Amino acid sequence: MTILNTEGTKPIYVQIAEWIETEIMNGHFNSDDKVYSQYQLAEMYTINPATAAKGLSLLVDENILYKKRGLGMFVTADAKEIIMNKRKNYTFKRLVQEIVLEAKRLQISEAELIEMIKSAQSEEGE
Amino acid sequence: MKVIECTDLAKSYFGKKVLNNLSFSIEENKITGLIGRNGVGKTTLLKIIAGFIKETSGEIKVFSERPFNSLNVSANSIFVDDQMSFPPALQLYELLEAASSFYPNWDMELAKRLFDYFSFDPKGYHNRLSKGKTSTFNAIVGLASHSPITIFDEPTTGMDASVRKDFYRALLKDYIAHPRTIIISSHHVDEIENLLEDVLLLKDGRNHLHLPMEELKAWAIGLKGPTEKIQEWVNDKEIVYENKIGTNTSYVVVRNDFADSALQSARLAGLEITAVSPSDLCVYITNQTKGGIDDVFKER
Repeated sequence: MTILNTEGTKPIYVQIAEWIETEIMNGHFNSDDKVYSQYQLAEMYTINPATAAKGLSLLVDENILYKKRGLGMFVTADAKEIIMNKRKNYTFKRLVQEIVLEAKRLQISEAELIEMIKSAQSEEGE
Repeated sequence: MKVIECTDLAKSYFGKKVLNNLSFSIEENKITGLIGRNGVGKTTLLKIIAGFIKETSGEIKVFSERPFNSLNVSANSIFVDDQMSFPPALQLYELLEAASSFYPNWDMELAKRLFDYFSFDPKGYHNRLSKGKTSTFNAIVGLASHSPITIFDEPTTGMDASVRKDFYRALLKDYIAHPRTIIISSHHVDEIENLLEDVLLLKDGRNHLHLPMEELKAWAIGLKGPTEKIQEWVNDKEIVYENKIGTNTSYVVVRNDFADSALQSARLAGLEITAVSPSDLCVYITNQTKGGIDDVFKER
């Protein structure tokens, strides 16, 4: 599934999950806060509620959200840490792989690549 | 709960088979998209479900009974298309009022609001409406009926892009507030894909695929790269579509039964791997002929 994300569009439910993750990361939702329901999400994005539910259950499976029966979905205490780890070890790693692959295609040497990253970093720092 | 069930359903017109051994079931309160090429039998199927026409053979059950001549099915379903006929003597607003006596769940408030939003003239007449306005009015009736089975057969015929967008949103909002079984047939897969929970794809008069939309999105993948390299990767796969770009680049769509690790190594080998949009995939799958429009123009 996730392999597909390189070029084509990401499945909507993954996008929904990622958006909620971002909302948690930037402090919009804190631990034990209630997040949007599948119906609220369905309305916000004009998508089928079942798709929205799939996005939420993805986050439940990853222990980012927990379910309270009849009350809704809430943010777990470890949510931020889990998201951070996931993005670092998975999303970011893939991004790096992508860069390395493209560098190979363009015959960019390792030293050159490192130099480019360094300069990008210092630009960012300014 | 299954609200629609059919087994070996067939329908012939003048000896020509339109539907052929169709077997599927539809769960209550889902939005299902009915997809297929022109003339594949979508409308026929929908009309059989609504009880408008009789099946030739096989079994069809709607709310556990045969829909043809069933009052129960008629009272609990609505079939919306651009051919809906209304009494020509009644004005548009009177039509809405009349509809309220036909449909027990009729939502007059919603009907009125939509009617005003799309700026219909209460004193207008249905047979004087433009194509797009006809579809819009019929869609309003379909939404406001709140029928337990709501069937839209090409509901957006003639609607402009903005009205189509409004209609989809209205449909979704009303569905969230009043969940019910909805079937939409459409050629605009890209426009409705996010609304759908399930997809029923017809080909050659039968159900070729019936699966959740999210699964359809992952059902196939596209591989692009040098032709000979592509061949290595797809030779034991089910090829859905193949296209040569230039002399030695190929784009091939195959059934996605690759392991993640296999895809990863294909990517590292320099192949471009892409998701295939449901809309494109439906076109590829339902193509009746091998080849494409280009073959028509080949040297004779």
